[in-house]
Amino acid sequence: MDFSQFAGPFLPELLLLAGTLVIFLLDVLGLRRTEVTGGVAVGATAFALLFVVADLGFAPLAALATVPSSQADVVVGAGATPLYSFTSLGFVFQGIFLLSSLLVALASTSRPSNERGAPIFYGLLLLATLGMLLAAIASDLIFLLLAIELVSISTYLLVGYTRRDVRSLEAAMKFYIIGALSTVLSFFGASLLFGAYGTTNLYALRALAGAGSFPVLVLLGYGFLIAGLAFKATLVPFHAWAVDVYDGAPTDVTAFLSTGSKKVGIFAFFLVFLGPVLVTMPGAGSSPFSSGSVDLGPVLQLTLSVLAVVTMTVGNVLALLQKEMKRMLAYSSISQAGYMLIGIAIGSSPALAGATLQMFAHVFMKGGAFLVVAGVAGLGVGPLIDDWKGLGVRRPLLGVAFGLMLLSLAGVPLTIGFVSKFVLFSAAVQAKGYFVWLAVAGLLNSALSVFYYARVLKVMYFDRPAPATLPAGAVVGGSDPPVLPAGGLGYGRALAIAIAAVVIVAIGIYPQPVLGAIQAAAQHFVNVGA
Amino acid sequence: MFPLLSAVLATLAVGTVATFVAGNRARWVALATSVAFLAEVGFLFLSYPGWPGYNGALVPGFADSESYSWISLSWMHINYTVGVDGISLVMILLTAVLQLATVVYSWAETNRPAGYFGLVLLTCLGCFGVFIALDVLLFFLFWEAVLVPMFFLIGYWGGPQRRYAAIKFFVYTHVASIVMLVGLLALVFYSGASSFDFSAIYASARGLTVVVQAFLFLALFFGFGVKFPIVPFHTWLPDAHVEAPTGGSVLLAGLLLKLGAYGLIRWAVEVLPSGLHTVQPVVYVVAFVSIIWGSVLSLSQRDLKRLVAYSSINHMGIVLLAIALDSSLGLLAAVLLMFAHGIVSALLFMTSGSMHHTFGTRDIPTVGGITPTTPELSTFIMVGSLASLGLPALISFPAEFTALLATWNTLAYWVFVPLIILVVTAAFYLWMMQRLLFGPPKAIPTAAHDVPWYEGTGMAILVALTVLFGILPGLLVNVIMSSPIKGFPGT
Repeated sequence: MDFSQFAGPFLPELLLLAGTLVIFLLDVLGLRRTEVTGGVAVGATAFALLFVVADLGFAPLAALATVPSSQADVVVGAGATPLYSFTSLGFVFQGIFLLSSLLVALASTSRPSNERGAPIFYGLLLLATLGMLLAAIASDLIFLLLAIELVSISTYLLVGYTRRDVRSLEAAMKFYIIGALSTVLSFFGASLLFGAYGTTNLYALRALAGAGSFPVLVLLGYGFLIAGLAFKATLVPFHAWAVDVYDGAPTDVTAFLSTGSKKVGIFAFFLVFLGPVLVTMPGAGSSPFSSGSVDLGPVLQLTLSVLAVVTMTVGNVLALLQKEMKRMLAYSSISQAGYMLIGIAIGSSPALAGATLQMFAHVFMKGGAFLVVAGVAGLGVGPLIDDWKGLGVRRPLLGVAFGLMLLSLAGVPLTIGFVSKFVLFSAAVQAKGYFVWLAVAGLLNSALSVFYYARVLKVMYFDRPAPATLPAGAVVGGSDPPVLPAGGLGYGRALAIAIAAVVIVAIGIYPQPVLGAIQAAAQHFVNVGA
Repeated sequence: MFPLLSAVLATLAVGTVATFVAGNRARWVALATSVAFLAEVGFLFLSYPGWPGYNGALVPGFADSESYSWISLSWMHINYTVGVDGISLVMILLTAVLQLATVVYSWAETNRPAGYFGLVLLTCLGCFGVFIALDVLLFFLFWEAVLVPMFFLIGYWGGPQRRYAAIKFFVYTHVASIVMLVGLLALVFYSGASSFDFSAIYASARGLTVVVQAFLFLALFFGFGVKFPIVPFHTWLPDAHVEAPTGGSVLLAGLLLKLGAYGLIRWAVEVLPSGLHTVQPVVYVVAFVSIIWGSVLSLSQRDLKRLVAYSSINHMGIVLLAIALDSSLGLLAAVLLMFAHGIVSALLFMTSGSMHHTFGTRDIPTVGGITPTTPELSTFIMVGSLASLGLPALISFPAEFTALLATWNTLAYWVFVPLIILVVTAAFYLWMMQRLLFGPPKAIPTAAHDVPWYEGTGMAILVALTVLFGILPGLLVNVIMSSPIKGFPGT
């Protein structure tokens, strides 16, 4: 096998790596302007995205496909233990991750062109994205956890990259300590599973799910894995760090954390826990503890269902109580993780498709919302929700875009957020049994969430602004950029926000292209390992 | 074939958007839209094919049907499917008439007129969509599209307690729609229907076991019932009605309550016959309780608007009873009653709004003997009340007579429950008219003036229909009976 054959499938990853190196090299050469490094980052992610979309089988781009179709969605034979494998669902997730960092990179080009740390920001952004892409093709637990580690270490640094703001530094420190703990838990769980089964390969684990004579070891192993990955995915009760970190980080980084790096945690849940769940889909299950071996499916499904309901509810209730915009969005981000977990708990291909679409939607609605918040902070609007008074009237276009994102988050029809929830809850009803109650819980939660999103809309459109919003001597925007030209937002940010708003409506009205691809990928994913 | 229904929908959508951005000329745009809508509905009526023997429809049994693929996955097929049968056609006529009457009646609205008229049109757009949708997702979208504009109509243009009323309305109806949505999804997936289309569900739901049908029916009954409203989930209605602006009350009573009944007929009674049969006693009890309790509450009111609001619970209880009878005569009576109540309650809400404008109060005992001062208003109140109590030659009479006949056919002597209630209510209405219209004049402000021309025109439209269909109910009966359901000849 010559190099091109080996390297071809990894072209997107190599692009990102090259981008990172170029950016650090430019830093050394003294070319530190935001436009230059940002341009490199945007270019690298955009091209990587093109290749990934081509890999998904998007016909007009077929010539760009890097993975031959004979290598994608291959059914792994018994006894084979590949480190990585190309699946359509993996490509879908690579696409989601790349979209997330593309939007963030694009918006960040509007930061001041002489800002200190711009090369570090873009370099780390690409490095973290590289880790995500690797996680999306993992088929071995250790490979997966190492890829996640690459993401984690890059994001610890991203949170504190400005090195000026005390709150950012505190958030970075908190993020690092919690992250280290969760890594330890995940690796400990993996080592317990290795002790029980003698392998860390995900296909082998899926085939063995529950077999063997060490039920306690297996349950403990999966338990530690749930705890470790739940920190990454911000599931209640492992969520407490997320709000402080999201709040303290520069808002562009928050957009990336919430829509990108958190999704890696959820995707890890896909890879690790779907195996055992799928092996014992509802109907095939027996009692959870038969002699000697564990039927893991029902136990895991129940655990994940409970986690999903608790996460949704706690996230929503706490979001209702928030007075600060970023904290409200952070809690709503936690509740969104609960919706995504529903898909994993059910484990059927429709449910997977619903959860994946939810993550796709989340990039645009929540990522877009954080990008707006970052831009608005640069316009001199304070952190409180009440500081947004009258913004919808003063800046109509920005108001409409942000309003669309909130409506989509609330699941209002004709937005992408409605479609993803509709598919997800339909899948829950389709799975029958107690999953119908998951749909009811999810729907009641979305009804609840309407209130805090509607409150922001009310403040933006119906409340009159107080005359002087800025106290004397206030630091405008904290770690976010100060006032900029081009409508105050900067062209890059305006473009990123516009893209997000257009996608929210377009896919909301006609979801078939995206939804069809995701459903096909989820179907392959279920078939490959079963 | 020309996509007629989509064209009507597009007319309404364009008109609504244009109204929202029209500023001070909003009422003219709204009026033009309403007239165009009514004309198109008239055309729909005239071109409606005669039954039986019509088989040119894309969706069996539905005229003017259109279907385009919207979402198509291996396990979920959603189409944009619309079509009308006789029942939806009658409801669409009601929508068009009430929209026009509301726009004309509210002609002098000065508080943000663009928003007001836009929301009125949006509500009617949603109702029209509900009546033509033949796909679960499409139905749900329109169902929810009604909720939001009504929330704002109550919450922004309403009376002193408007915030509370609007939120209560929203919470009650939204929780109900969630249960309805889960019920509809369960209907699709438990029956194994090949798509979310009505015809696919209709074909496959019969295969469900009786127990599943019963549970699904109960879920849908709750979901649709809150909109009826059924006792004990009725408490949102008086608050919403009393606080809503007159135009909002008209649409609430005239259209929104009908959505629940229409949904029940279309998605539950037609689709789950064994389900209805199993839980029939429950529905009977709810219907009788609603009839009695609604009437008792209405008898104890002093406020004209509140009185009409509570009597709506009573009337919709009779609609529910007629639906629960599970006979073709019962269904005919239910649809006739829905149309009649839509027109008459709208008229009565308009009179109560005019009374408030004229006298500054809706309290019946405070003002008395208003006929000499305001002859037009008292004429409208009189026609509305007489129609409401079921005077022959006015629209409610054929409807209520059919309902009582159908009840007698199925339930024999139980017919005396609604009959006695009707007699008592009639007596009460007469007493109310005696005090309000013909008694000795009390506390009439010297500045009292009769109804302005636009309010009079709005009410006159409804009075004309009350008389027209009271004398010629056959116009409606023939259309309804052509629907392809339960014993109707179109089947």
